[in-house]
Amino acid sequence: MRKLSSLRRVSCFGRRLMVVAVMGLGLTGHALATDVVTTYEDENGWKLLVNGEDFYIKGVVWGYTPRGENYTYNLWGESDDFIRKVLDYDFGLMKEANVNAIRSFAMIPPKWVTYVYEEHGIMTVINPLVGRYGYTVGGKWIPRTDYSDPLTRATLIKDTLEIIETYKDVPGVLMFALGNESNYGLEWSSFEIENLPEGEQHAAKARYLYSLFNEIMAAGKQIAPTKPQSIVNGDLQYIDLIDELCPALDVLGSNVYRGRGFTNLWEQVDQKLDLPVVFYEFGADAFNSREFREDQRSQAIFLRDQWQEMYNKAYGNGEEGNSIGAFVFEWRDEWWKYLQVENLDQQDTNASWANGGYTYDHVEGQNNMNEEWWGITALGTANRDGVFTARPRMAYDVLKEVWSLDPYTHKKTAFNQAINNIDMDLLGLKGEVRQLRSEADEKQKILFFTGGSLRAEYLTKGTERELDERGENGLEFSPGEMAFLDFGFQPTDNLEGQFTLNILGDVADKEPLEIAYGRRGFPVAVVIEQEPGGDEVILNTTADITDRERIEFYDFSATYRAKDFDLHTFYHVPRFHWGYEGDFFGLMWEATDLDGMDIWNSKAPEGIEIEGKDGWMKGLKVVAGPEVYWGANPKVMLKYENRLGKRTEYAVIHSEDIARRDEGTGSTGATQRQSRATTIYTKTQLTEGMSLELGGIIASSEKIDDPYTRLETSGGSSQVVLDEIDFEDTLGFKAKLSFPMLGGLAYVSASHAGLVADGGNPLREFGTRLPYTGLGAKREYDAGIMLNYGYWMLFPRVLYRDALVDPNLNLEPSIVGGVLNPGLSVRNRESDPFAILGNRDTRAAELFITYDPTGATPFYQWDNDYREDAKFAFNIGLNYTEYPTPTDSYQFFFEPTGVNAAFGVGLPAEDIWEASSRIVYNPNNQAKFIFNLAAGKLQSTGDPNGGSRDFQSLAGMAVLNKKHILSGYIKKDAFGPYDFHRQFNITYPEQYKLDYSILLDSKRDQKNSTQVGVKTLYRSVDENSPGGEFEDGENDYLFQTTVYFLYNFGGTPPPAPRD
Amino acid sequence: MSNRQIRQSNAGVNKLLVTVLGCATLLIAGCNEPDNNEGVVISSTPLPVDTILNLSCEDVGIFTETCVLDDPANPFIDTAIVEFDVNNEDAFNKFELANAIPAGPEGAKARVYFWATALARRPNGENQWYTARAFHELYDAQIQVTGFGDPIIQAQALRAYRSVLDNFFGSVTFFECCGNINPSGDPVPFSVPLNELTADHLYRTESTGWARLVPGDPLLTQSLLAEWGYTYQPATGPNFDNGIVSVNEG
Repeated sequence: MRKLSSLRRVSCFGRRLMVVAVMGLGLTGHALATDVVTTYEDENGWKLLVNGEDFYIKGVVWGYTPRGENYTYNLWGESDDFIRKVLDYDFGLMKEANVNAIRSFAMIPPKWVTYVYEEHGIMTVINPLVGRYGYTVGGKWIPRTDYSDPLTRATLIKDTLEIIETYKDVPGVLMFALGNESNYGLEWSSFEIENLPEGEQHAAKARYLYSLFNEIMAAGKQIAPTKPQSIVNGDLQYIDLIDELCPALDVLGSNVYRGRGFTNLWEQVDQKLDLPVVFYEFGADAFNSREFREDQRSQAIFLRDQWQEMYNKAYGNGEEGNSIGAFVFEWRDEWWKYLQVENLDQQDTNASWANGGYTYDHVEGQNNMNEEWWGITALGTANRDGVFTARPRMAYDVLKEVWSLDPYTHKKTAFNQAINNIDMDLLGLKGEVRQLRSEADEKQKILFFTGGSLRAEYLTKGTERELDERGENGLEFSPGEMAFLDFGFQPTDNLEGQFTLNILGDVADKEPLEIAYGRRGFPVAVVIEQEPGGDEVILNTTADITDRERIEFYDFSATYRAKDFDLHTFYHVPRFHWGYEGDFFGLMWEATDLDGMDIWNSKAPEGIEIEGKDGWMKGLKVVAGPEVYWGANPKVMLKYENRLGKRTEYAVIHSEDIARRDEGTGSTGATQRQSRATTIYTKTQLTEGMSLELGGIIASSEKIDDPYTRLETSGGSSQVVLDEIDFEDTLGFKAKLSFPMLGGLAYVSASHAGLVADGGNPLREFGTRLPYTGLGAKREYDAGIMLNYGYWMLFPRVLYRDALVDPNLNLEPSIVGGVLNPGLSVRNRESDPFAILGNRDTRAAELFITYDPTGATPFYQWDNDYREDAKFAFNIGLNYTEYPTPTDSYQFFFEPTGVNAAFGVGLPAEDIWEASSRIVYNPNNQAKFIFNLAAGKLQSTGDPNGGSRDFQSLAGMAVLNKKHILSGYIKKDAFGPYDFHRQFNITYPEQYKLDYSILLDSKRDQKNSTQVGVKTLYRSVDENSPGGEFEDGENDYLFQTTVYFLYNFGGTPPPAPRD
Repeated sequence: MSNRQIRQSNAGVNKLLVTVLGCATLLIAGCNEPDNNEGVVISSTPLPVDTILNLSCEDVGIFTETCVLDDPANPFIDTAIVEFDVNNEDAFNKFELANAIPAGPEGAKARVYFWATALARRPNGENQWYTARAFHELYDAQIQVTGFGDPIIQAQALRAYRSVLDNFFGSVTFFECCGNINPSGDPVPFSVPLNELTADHLYRTESTGWARLVPGDPLLTQSLLAEWGYTYQPATGPNFDNGIVSVNEG
């Protein structure tokens, strides 16, 4: 028996009246200012009408994400010309296949909604996500939307109604749909709900969700009476609540993944809601995870049968009659869906969830849903316009046939017969031929070329002294050429990878102003020994070798996918820390600064990783290699993480050096002694918003019994004490409590680390400059609170640290009367089991003030310069640090002897400070300005000679029309750009840079676009600068100008200079 | 709030308290800060005055062995032995400390430790030569004190001298001399090849005043040097600064 609320009946009746009125005015077709879209019901079922005409939705879920991009890509930020090319390409193909509507996750700007409607006749569902993936509420980004929160509800209602207001009269809008499987995202927590029995918790949350939807839809109807209101529900979950709480709902929208058919869905909707049904998502993936291959046929068969069922369920066919069409998920494969930020230029074949409805590749207990393979077209390469193409699959051709039929005008038997007569073999062959051709074009399976880049440059440089002495002849000129060629390989379906070759031509001699990748190709002078013959004296000769190492492997990575694990090999490709995977002590350093490594031709990170993903291996990671992060000793690392109940997670990590590296990090970074560490970590969610993290570490056990000295003072006299490392000195503990406070999120942390309980690289977040360290021999406390006020964030933090022992002083030894006072030497980490360096006594405080009205592009994300879309966003950071004690001695790697050398003296006690600001200004989508200002007083990281100096710097970049890029900096008394500059306390009175480039292609990417530019560097020198540049006062400055051309044909660009 | 809710709330607080207390206990238990009762005071270490030396290892005092740094009897393990800095001649250096070791037999053993330690820390010809001299002196001291020189020390001294020739043949050391010829009155530094000094110490008793390591006719010293692969043309008086050591061909 049909159940229909009176309100809904009135609504339906009212709309029918309105349509009649509009039709009576003779307003039909695209000439309408806005289309009138209504639902219609009689005893034969439901229909959707557009301007009074039947409209069975033959739709696709559409989006445009190029290879190498992910969800952050914004087509609408591109030029109009490029957008038009993309739309004409995609919607042209759609039109050819008889598509008449799309749904898109991205909010398509009104003018483009109208464009695709007018040019291609395709209508658009406007789909505000209503906080589905987090929302900015009260200026604060909330990742898990709390639909019960009054402010959240008010904000979502207001913002969504504004969207409806914006689109209500836009030609091409079909209807409005709210959320996206929002019933699956009820993840917020609250005491009120948590106290309910578990089974009732989600239903309680769902009530908030659906009541909110109804409020929006009811108000939306007042704003846009000519457009139906719908929701995007996950299947039919909470259908009773929908019936109870959503009287304003016009069309039930649902994402349905039930396999080849939809089982009893029609009947359920008919009985419980009596509403028309549209599928906002459904479909089948085109990858067969059982056979590990692209499977166009199974996808096409499923889609054919699904549409056939829908047609049969449409109006007038003697069944429920409530199907009004659907949107196939999806138009084109998206290569970012699996992992979302990794492997963006490769199509992952990982199945990430299981669904028994997809019988063609389902195996009990195994995943079979391949997120990156749902397109009815495959993501191809870029065409001449820079538009990434869509290679139609068999499903496209099958649906083209299906969509040529109309379930309303064709008789039921006719369309069924037509669908059954579709020549699947022919269309299957067509799809396979396309696939083979595409593969032949794009990749030869075993080894294929994927792209590359070519950089050519011409350098002019000189110094003040050379110009003074030799005039124009004092200038030096040198050309440089470099190419990168990228290759992929996929010899089997579960083994794939890539590598890049670097090829050098001439190498421009930019040093010392700029140290750049490619210096391996500099000429090398060698002495050629001559064979003595008789009594004749023959002198050795010298020669320059100019053609060495012209080709090298720049990077390499490969992945073998097995059932329970993935095996990755990595060679100079980015790798991330494990800070969010239970690595509380930072044992796994991040290795993403490849540009910084390239300066010194370092090939880190290098190794293999086994990543468990199923069965007993799930949660297990094993990494091993000669340099798994930059500067690492050859080592093996093992991590296991899992959960204990719902609220506690834990992780165990062991790191074991198996040798010691014999090269410094960079030019002079000291090597580390061979060591080991084991950590254990737990994180418990105590109450709402409150979590406790606990960790323990045992490190450097090989140093037990190692002697060390210290100075003890008592009663005014000092004595040198010789002690040994005990087991207790290898232990460390750390606790961190995070909790809500003053409307923000606060934390307090305490740690104690024994003398040799060294961890790795602590996690630093939100731009902090607090001098955290992983070294042991400390007792440390820190606290902070992140406060959000609207779009403002205040983040004060403090750090208090005491070293467990004082650094040693240099005291001369003496012998008096046959009695030895051995004196004391500053420690260093080579000769002593530990040293007091960054772990010295510290009292630090900082305040960061941030203004960012667009929380979805986090201001402190590493690529925010590129991503930030706020019109204006900035921060101000202030840091003040007191170091009341000196340090022991830092070390540097001395290449001629291949060992570490100590500076021999420590850094003095010092108070330092730094103030900085980053400003991002986007006045419109054709201009972007970024400024970085900093001033302060900083200490060297090694050599204390020369003391600390005040510095100021201003750096900026302007991007105009996404084509012209002007960047540069001005620095005064700042360290040079390379790590060794600060390590050896090298500063320059003035440093200037100016770089202008014009992008010549449509990629609009400063690093990856084909471009031509000119760059000038200038540095004045004084006694604090390198002796070879200052020349005892003979030289005042150095400068160089480089004219460069970069041609990028879809591959690895040259490393960004660090100048 | 219902009773059930109150109980749950209390349970949460209890859990929090237990966890925080556990955490605090862990932190306190881990506070292993060294205190004044730990370690050994080494500010006043009497130097050995005897002449009996048990070698730390077979090659102690011979480049490239560093076992002296692990010898618990070595008083200089924790002593900073600062090399002479030509750019800072007035800075404290190893010679000042070495000169403070008591002269004569009572300082001989300490000198072996001192120079062997210097050699282990900074392998160079000068430290090797002074180590050889120290062994030589200790051998002489043993004879002076007990009337008997330990043949092991004698052999070690010879090996140390040979190491100077084998490993640091071209090295020199510096002496100062003759302030009277310098207008400023400051001593004038001059360099002396260590190979010459080595051969001279072995060849001529007067050069050290210590017992001969190669007893008997000095020609035996030349024979020994020849065995080692060197030819020595002895220095002649009065200055004995014209000896020549050459490496035998083949």
